[in-house]
Amino acid sequence: MRADADLIRLENVSMKYRLARQRQPSFKEYALHWVRGALVYEDLWALSDVSLRIGSGESIGIIGRNGAGKSTLLKLISRVLTPTAGRVEVHGRVVPVLDLGAGLDPELSGRENIFLNAMFLGRTRAEVAAACDSIVAASGLDEFIDSPLRNYSAGMSARLAFSVATAWVPDVLILDEVLAVGDAGFVAKCHQRLQEFRDQGTTVLIVSHSTNEIQASCRRAIWVDGGRVRADGPTEEVMAEYAAFVATRHAAIGAPDRTP
Amino acid sequence: MSALAELIAHRDLIRELVVRALKVRYRRSAIGFLWTMLHPLIMMLVLSLVFSQVFRFQVPNYALYALSGIVFWQFFSQTVTSCLHSLKGNARLLSKLPIPKAVFPIATVLSGLLNLGFALVPLLGIAIVTGHAPTASIVFLPVGILLVGLMALGAGLLLAPLSVIFSDTIEVVAIVLGLLMYLTPVFYPRSIVPEQLRWAVRLNPMAAALEVFRAPIVDHTMPATADLAVATAAALVLLAVGGWFFAVSSRRLALYL
Repeated sequence: MRADADLIRLENVSMKYRLARQRQPSFKEYALHWVRGALVYEDLWALSDVSLRIGSGESIGIIGRNGAGKSTLLKLISRVLTPTAGRVEVHGRVVPVLDLGAGLDPELSGRENIFLNAMFLGRTRAEVAAACDSIVAASGLDEFIDSPLRNYSAGMSARLAFSVATAWVPDVLILDEVLAVGDAGFVAKCHQRLQEFRDQGTTVLIVSHSTNEIQASCRRAIWVDGGRVRADGPTEEVMAEYAAFVATRHAAIGAPDRTP
Repeated sequence: MSALAELIAHRDLIRELVVRALKVRYRRSAIGFLWTMLHPLIMMLVLSLVFSQVFRFQVPNYALYALSGIVFWQFFSQTVTSCLHSLKGNARLLSKLPIPKAVFPIATVLSGLLNLGFALVPLLGIAIVTGHAPTASIVFLPVGILLVGLMALGAGLLLAPLSVIFSDTIEVVAIVLGLLMYLTPVFYPRSIVPEQLRWAVRLNPMAAALEVFRAPIVDHTMPATADLAVATAAALVLLAVGGWFFAVSSRRLALYL
């Protein structure tokens, strides 16, 4: 039961990736290193001690450099990863759109992919059957819907996947850099759909490197750096802080992407 | 228990994955699912030629004996091997969406069972053609299929996460499956095994399961109690160990995928 209005609550969440210093992809190497007591791991804390509260109906932009921990944060909220320490509490239905092509099968037709992908998102066959026509209409791919996906362009595949992911109004929608694909018409359609979701009270989390996109659609922004929340507040203020930070670091080369 | 509830909630997805496996396997091939029937038949012809003509095994209806062994073994070894790849092959998806990981090995075993069902058509056809038409004992056929299905599922649940963590698992399993096939009377009669080695075959759960599968088709009898006991115990142990290992490792698997 929900105690208060928080839809998402992270309490002192830390996420550790264990990078073996010697990779041991084989039994032999693993056994040898184990016998010698030389199993040395390098701990990489992708997130350290992050606490967040996100309410119903909020639109939040998550910003930060590559490898800052943004994707790890989204994966924890999506329940793809479980935290090394701390608690992640998410109420309601979450639709993570972290990778538009992830569930698509090139051998199946567009229509078959609609069914498969919606079921990957936890929908039942009956639900998909009822929504199928409107998904096809939203994707604008009617003429190609029964051709195999291997004949689709990258943009067409992305339209199909986005239309499936946004066919039902979820409690939380998570978007990781996915609106950059597709032509201008499709991007406009995406934004229109997002607006409909917001109007119906969906909480939207967006990771984007597009300042415009975040400023246009999010009241609140969270800046993540080095696995910690550096700033959390009104978009204008957080963006200004982040911009100042980037300016001072301008000469330095950005940290390498550390997210595996 | 909640893992089981989650799987039941995803039953439509499991069904869809089974359908996909069959579609992808057969759609682009000219004779489609006939391959599933043709492959064991061709193996049976070769084995019949080699073993009943060259080595002169004294088995009544060797063709039926060999074909039932081949169909059984192909199901087990192909299903276990596909389970091994079922998590790795869906790595991108599993690292982006919160899907209960067990749906992939489960769907693999179910589609393997459907293929086994197709392969029963030529098996029963050969039985009729060679004058061994099924009798009432055929009602015990599902018992053997169920047992080997549970064994494949248990082995698949155990090995799929292991192959994500250690990629050598795939090589090791290929060797073990090859050895296990020779320890199982797939194409030779049990009677040629020397008396002092017979315990090895008797204790091999795959041999017991094969006898359970074979009894109603080849001997027209009910499976022997000893074989039933060994095969059932092995299936339950494998399923328990596999299910336990899958459950404890699946939380961490997202880090390796």
